[in-house]
Amino acid sequence: MATYLIRRFLWIIPVLFVVSVITFGLMHAVPGGPWAREKALPEATVARLNAKYGLDKPVHEQYINWVGGIVTRFDFGPSYKYVERSVGDIVADGVWPTVQLGVMAFLLAILIGIPLGVIGALGHNRWPDYLSTAISIVGISTPSFVLAILLVVVFSVTLGWFPTNGWKGPNTWVLPTIALAGFPISQIARYTRASMLEVTRRDYVRTAHSKGIRNTAVVTRHMIRNALIPVVTILGPILAFLVTGSFIIEKIFSIPGIGKFYVQSIGQRDYGLLMAMTLIYAFAVAFLNLIVDILYAYIDPRIRYS
Amino acid sequence: MFRKRLVATSMVVAIIAAACGGSASQAPASLAPGDTAAPTEVASNLADEQILRIDIIGEPPTLDPTMASDSNSIAVLNAIHRPLMYLDHDLQAVPSLAESVDVSADAQTFTFTLRDAMYSDGNPIVAGDLVYSWKRLMDPRLAAPYSYVLDVVQGGPELLALAGDAAATDATIDAALANLGVSAPDDKTFIVQLATPATFFLTIATLWVTVPLQKAWVDSSGFAEAATYVGSGPFKLTTWEHQSEIVVTQNENWYGDKPTLTEIHMAMLQEASAQQAAFEAGEIDLAIVPSEDLARVTSDPVLGPMTQKVATFSITYYNFNNATGPTSNLNFRIALTQAIDKQAFVDVLYGGTGLVANSPVMPGIPGYDETINPYPFDLASAQAHMATALQELGVASPADLGKITFGFNPGHEARVAFLAEAWSQAFPGMVFDQISAEFGVFLGVRHSGGYTISRNGWGADFPHASNQLFGLYNCGGGNNDSIYCNEAFDALLDQAASEPDQDKQVELYKQAQQIAMDDAATIPLRFGASTVAIAPYVSGVVVSPDIAQNVGDFWYETIQILKH
Repeated sequence: MATYLIRRFLWIIPVLFVVSVITFGLMHAVPGGPWAREKALPEATVARLNAKYGLDKPVHEQYINWVGGIVTRFDFGPSYKYVERSVGDIVADGVWPTVQLGVMAFLLAILIGIPLGVIGALGHNRWPDYLSTAISIVGISTPSFVLAILLVVVFSVTLGWFPTNGWKGPNTWVLPTIALAGFPISQIARYTRASMLEVTRRDYVRTAHSKGIRNTAVVTRHMIRNALIPVVTILGPILAFLVTGSFIIEKIFSIPGIGKFYVQSIGQRDYGLLMAMTLIYAFAVAFLNLIVDILYAYIDPRIRYS
Repeated sequence: MFRKRLVATSMVVAIIAAACGGSASQAPASLAPGDTAAPTEVASNLADEQILRIDIIGEPPTLDPTMASDSNSIAVLNAIHRPLMYLDHDLQAVPSLAESVDVSADAQTFTFTLRDAMYSDGNPIVAGDLVYSWKRLMDPRLAAPYSYVLDVVQGGPELLALAGDAAATDATIDAALANLGVSAPDDKTFIVQLATPATFFLTIATLWVTVPLQKAWVDSSGFAEAATYVGSGPFKLTTWEHQSEIVVTQNENWYGDKPTLTEIHMAMLQEASAQQAAFEAGEIDLAIVPSEDLARVTSDPVLGPMTQKVATFSITYYNFNNATGPTSNLNFRIALTQAIDKQAFVDVLYGGTGLVANSPVMPGIPGYDETINPYPFDLASAQAHMATALQELGVASPADLGKITFGFNPGHEARVAFLAEAWSQAFPGMVFDQISAEFGVFLGVRHSGGYTISRNGWGADFPHASNQLFGLYNCGGGNNDSIYCNEAFDALLDQAASEPDQDKQVELYKQAQQIAMDDAATIPLRFGASTVAIAPYVSGVVVSPDIAQNVGDFWYETIQILKH
């Protein structure tokens, strides 16, 4: 098991390498540059800035310098937009609000999503199912910005219960967490429901019933545990998606996280920040998938890694 | 940029509020011309807590005054630094850090006498600091975006040229810096020697890039954190939570009148709708109403009276490619210009906010002339010009021109569609290839003349005609994306820049504009305006000049919070 884990963990390194090469190449292939703006800078200034940041060098040389900086000094380079600050500083500042929001939304999504799916499956084709499905469909099809703005209008502007924006304590956490959790709640509920319906028809469930085990025990011990295996598969990517931040939610609620840099850094050609964001996301996905695999073994004793 | 930014540094002026059409002008604290800092409310009306809460829209990319070039940063810098000169409420440059200024008869030597003043850390501000900060601005190694504003200073053009010379050694650069025409014969005297006479130079000395900086401090501390930050304005930087909030508090070492406000909280709300929501929830005191909320807010019985229109020093215009394609034909450009009902453009696309523009210099800036309008909306005349143009171009109908490329970036679809539709209707058969490109890509193609017609806009860096014309319409100008070139225009611009007599100078700028507009170099469409919302308990907001992000943010020190 330990060897397996170490091997899997080390595999993340070549994955990150390939992701970084592709992103770096694509990013520099896109026209435009960090100094492009509506009011053009004098060409001399642009040339100077390119020389200052080494952007006048061939792309492969820039890549080697960039990787070199990370490997030797853990230096992710400067930001071209926030010129006084390094990419490392910016990410270090923003990563905690983002992760905190992501984890809270994730927990909320599990706490609501799984029971919602279970209720739907147990009341199959009756009103609990219709209610559960209706909530899921609304959640899946409502874009997060609509939900976010709706929450702000109702709970901040009209009722005044929560601030419209910011990240300064529990009362500012509530609305963004709900807004961010809306989609994954529905996703998890749908998976759970489908998966529960699947196991309902299994022999071991029928056997458990026929042995006279109480219904709640059958549901919790036999059905849910088995039904969760496919659900856990999607939890990894969902968590990776949530903890790396949401551009839209962070913008609407003005959360000082890193999520907004995914889109911003592309528009601004802030190459260093864009690379850092891509690597963070790639790492989160790869790492959390590994965690999911470990969880499989825990939920399903039949799975053993060697 | 994800969202269309307020065009660069943006100066917003409301001298023009009247011209802007029927907006109820909130009476600002009445201030005499030349008077820049005089809160007027009687103490008994004031709230106990003098905290102004505003939104600067996003994290300032830098608070290094030398390097700043965007409105987020300038909104903060206006509070925490002060240059030699500052604009008064009539946009005239008046002494600020300077006690007085002496301009030589040939308008080439400017002698500033400094006040007894201190930085926020208690160190005295000496003339040598200005020599340092001005040379820093011009240092090619720093590549400051706004170094060009000092191109009129002796030695300035040489330094700007050096910036593009990657081979320039430190020794060459240092020698060129030593030749920059700035000197400090003593701690209280700062002398600037210009290469050419430039009467607008005093306006340059009001810009955020020209503030004094201490070399020892710049060398030892960064500009990135509040803890070590030193400024020289009415307020000082107290906290800077990156991507979240900036707080400035009264600077006890400020040399001017002590402001009434004790703190300004600057949020970074990033989203226009978030800003509006925060204003309506009472979390911030000033807001710019987003266009999609305009109708609702202005008609709201509570919110409506808090709003007013503020004209901005900005212009929306479209480039014609003067070098290649059908738009290189004068009659073709005239035809396109005359086919557009600009008032309808403003009414339909901006809800009537803003003024029709027919020439580049904005109302409120000397040199604006509403009579410059050689090709007013006239469909019959447009079609006649088009007939001539087609003959000259050697084609039978507009359809034979093929698809005319029309470039823009996302967010401008409606405007582009309006214009393309108007032209297609006026000239049957004319077809446009409407190309929406990502902002950075669009800028590159536009600049290289890759579109026949393209979207453009400009915000004044400083309220002077030179800033609205030079670089934009002269041959080879850095922002001349129309690739327009007329030597007569260039000659007038040169003549104007060196004309010491203000009235004559303004006349020359008008003549220059007349030439460019006779040539239909571009199609100016609209002078900008915003609708701002001001909480009723905020007094002393000067709805006049130059704002970065919020009305009043050029003179924070006049703002007071009333009891509420």
